[in-house]
Amino acid sequence: MAAVVHPGQASHLGDWAGRYFHIDQVLDKPGPRTDPSFLAGDGVKKFLREECKILVIGAGGLGCEILANLALLGFKDIHVIDMDTIDISNLNRQFLFRQKDVGQPKATVAAEFIMKRVPGVKVTPYFGKIQDKDDDYYMQFNLVVCGLDSIEARRWMNATLVNLVDPENPESLKPLIDGGTEGFKGQARVILPTVTSCYECSLDMLNKPTAFPICTIANTPRLPEHCIEWASVLEWPRIWKDKKMDTDDPEHIGWLYGVAAARAKEFKIEGVTWALTQGVVKNIIPAIASTNAIIAAACCNEAFKIATSSAAYLNNYFMLIGTDSVYSYTFIHEQRPECPVCGGESVEISISRDFTVESLIEMLTEKQHIQIKKPSLSTPTKQIYLQAPPQLEAATRPNLEKKVSELVADGGEVTVTASSLPFSLSLRITYT
Amino acid sequence: MSLSDSQNIEEATTSLQSQPDAKTRRYDRQLRLWAATGQNALEASRILLLSATATSTSILKNLVLPGIGHFTILDAATVTPEDAGNNFFLEGPDSIGKNRADEAVRLLGELNDGVEGKAVQESVEDVLEKKPEWIKGFTLVIAHNLKAKVVQQLSDLLWEDEAGPGLIVVKSAGFLAEFSIQFHDHAVIESHSESAPSLRITEPFPTLLEHATALDLSKMDPTDHSHVPYVVLLVRALEDWKKNHGGNPPKTFPEKKEFKKTISALKVKMDEENFEEAENQAYRCWTETKIPSEVSSLFELPAPSLSSDPNTLQFHALLTALKEFTLTQHPHTLPLSATLPDMHTSTESYIHLQKLYKARAGEDKATFNTLLAKVPGGAEITDDVVDSFLKNCHAVRVLRGRKWGTFDADREALTTALQTSPRETSTHLAFSALSALPSDASPTEESLRAAVHGIVGQDIELPEEFDNAIGEIARSPTADLPTTSAFLGGLVAQEAIKMITKQYVPINGHCVIDLVETWTGVIS
Repeated sequence: MAAVVHPGQASHLGDWAGRYFHIDQVLDKPGPRTDPSFLAGDGVKKFLREECKILVIGAGGLGCEILANLALLGFKDIHVIDMDTIDISNLNRQFLFRQKDVGQPKATVAAEFIMKRVPGVKVTPYFGKIQDKDDDYYMQFNLVVCGLDSIEARRWMNATLVNLVDPENPESLKPLIDGGTEGFKGQARVILPTVTSCYECSLDMLNKPTAFPICTIANTPRLPEHCIEWASVLEWPRIWKDKKMDTDDPEHIGWLYGVAAARAKEFKIEGVTWALTQGVVKNIIPAIASTNAIIAAACCNEAFKIATSSAAYLNNYFMLIGTDSVYSYTFIHEQRPECPVCGGESVEISISRDFTVESLIEMLTEKQHIQIKKPSLSTPTKQIYLQAPPQLEAATRPNLEKKVSELVADGGEVTVTASSLPFSLSLRITYT
Repeated sequence: MSLSDSQNIEEATTSLQSQPDAKTRRYDRQLRLWAATGQNALEASRILLLSATATSTSILKNLVLPGIGHFTILDAATVTPEDAGNNFFLEGPDSIGKNRADEAVRLLGELNDGVEGKAVQESVEDVLEKKPEWIKGFTLVIAHNLKAKVVQQLSDLLWEDEAGPGLIVVKSAGFLAEFSIQFHDHAVIESHSESAPSLRITEPFPTLLEHATALDLSKMDPTDHSHVPYVVLLVRALEDWKKNHGGNPPKTFPEKKEFKKTISALKVKMDEENFEEAENQAYRCWTETKIPSEVSSLFELPAPSLSSDPNTLQFHALLTALKEFTLTQHPHTLPLSATLPDMHTSTESYIHLQKLYKARAGEDKATFNTLLAKVPGGAEITDDVVDSFLKNCHAVRVLRGRKWGTFDADREALTTALQTSPRETSTHLAFSALSALPSDASPTEESLRAAVHGIVGQDIELPEEFDNAIGEIARSPTADLPTTSAFLGGLVAQEAIKMITKQYVPINGHCVIDLVETWTGVIS
């Protein structure tokens, strides 16, 4: 059966007879549910192995798995972006890295490992930020697979790919496959920018981050976490002024831990430990190899199906919970008409006439489906509040205390922007 | 504050820990899930993998990384060009012609110095014939794509010993897969359930009731008033309500609404958050069941045989003492948990309340220990285990496993499952058929259909989903796809970790996977 490799098949790509015995079984013939448009055989193999260019965002827990899967599936031109270096705490799951690699860039080490292990695969690493790259760069890929732990980076990538879509040019629509995990839980989804629901559409599905009110931290601590927040949010800036806290620096964690422990002692609160301190200040999410393997496999399986049409791709969301038996749910997440990235309609906000600009900003930061950190606000005719540059910030600062109703007419539009997000949100303000 | 309390805090803060050691840092992200107890169990485990397929090495990768103690791969085969194309734990063409188990063990070993790996170049059939007892020396045995006859022998062997290793049977072909776990009993103390233990608001213990009834809300200064914890407010409000309602809690909807109003009426300012919490948590005054039915149903379980594994016997002793506790101790609830959720209040009130709970939990534990000492084997149970049991006793779980193959022999269960879960059951049966076919046969839709009828009888009605399943398997009967093997590798490793650590809850039945439509389902 090894004879399925055809004569003349690109041997310079490192292939050997029998190499694709397993994968070719699903590429040589359709299954009962395969779309009739699937062209089994050489054409689809040639596209997968010689033409398809795929981008992987993140070379961490999911990224390592994604790269290995794609390489074995037969993708030969893979690019990977990651801005991080390897830490010892990565080694329990990021299986392309060894002790000796600690401190090295993840993207580079991962790319070298894959090329050494899977002959003929070219992996091009970029050690840096996704924001460093422009539209032309993203335009060169057929598919993008995201294995990120940052919401902000996902929002940026998602908005960038939605903006890239030019209705006149079908090539400009880049399917985005996104995965995420936490402990024994995870999700994988397929986003067809402008066609299906996008990442921004589903912001309200995210777990609300635990936020402790400042007054609790300052006056009535009850939990060890409150003492740790006190050390990092209030004491660090008080003592160290402008010195930036580095949560990867054991000396900084040690200092925070000492301060938190002393406060806990004063208030007779038990449970402040080194691990908890680090967990709270770094917002550590538990992560294991097995969950990453499941979600990365689901993502790459979708990439493979999209690239080959050998089976229908996921429409459009798969979530898995492995804590109690194996529970999963596959469903269509609907597009949100007022999604600031792919919807086009304004978000309606109803506030009282006494509502201040400052309260509105706080509301934009906290609302589940908006979550814009440090928003700048303007109307078509005037600037309400700008976070930067410093001169404009100072000039617009007095507006913070003003009522929104003094600045915006009933039914008026406010445009919200933030430097971290490549899109603007349009608000329609009405007064109660 | 008692002397012992002050010493605890003294110890916790004067002897500050330094940065954790390298091993703790390496495992940090998983220790936050299963802690040192789970990690110790993993490190003591010995896993046997039958064959070094791509799926097998994917499973092992996810067990070597978190740090199991030992793994053995049993495989007599030589690496083929086909193997070298789809297995990440082979070095491409360089591995062709070498022993498959040797190569996989070498490359998997690189993932974690703390794990011992061993290759045994023999076939399963030989080992089953010549040294079956050797297989029983492992914690868990995992088999991928073995023929039904071999699995049957393995299953018989491992089932005969109640304390013997569990068996995970994994099957895959193309985009489809399934696995099941054979075990006798599996008891879970740390289920990591999201349900919280009872705060005993409906049955307050004496010191809590005293504390709540002693409050004079009308004479408090406004700050103290806004700092009375909701737990105390509810206990008090319920007590007052019962006095005026013949000793009964609010029962009807209007009564419940009325009860919430009485809480709201106690506010002296509009924005007292503690009162808002009390209103939101008021349901605890009528829904707090004494003992969760999932737990009380465990009291009826028959005693395990003496040859059961030590964990099952220990768990049963704890359960027996727990049952005795709930029968003999007023007010017939589970022992109190010392875990108090956060609530809006001052530091002093919170710490005071926490102390009341801790003190009562300590008394309940002492009573529990007296009862436990009278249960055979109870006196030998360590304090750590007792603490963990009492902390989690509202959510403990017991799974009664079944022997591999039981489902396929149960006509009635299959017929029901075909109706309630047609796609999962169809795929499961298609795999039963595939592994029943002789190894030299090339499976077709016709041969698979015939084989299923051979298993479940000629007259069973098969749904249209069955055509999809056999069609997909006939398309790629021997394909171990990289993504299917990675997906399975993750799922099976999760289950293995749950089995080994006895934390979280494993599947009981068959988990079926379809990566054409991207779904999973569990049937039994």
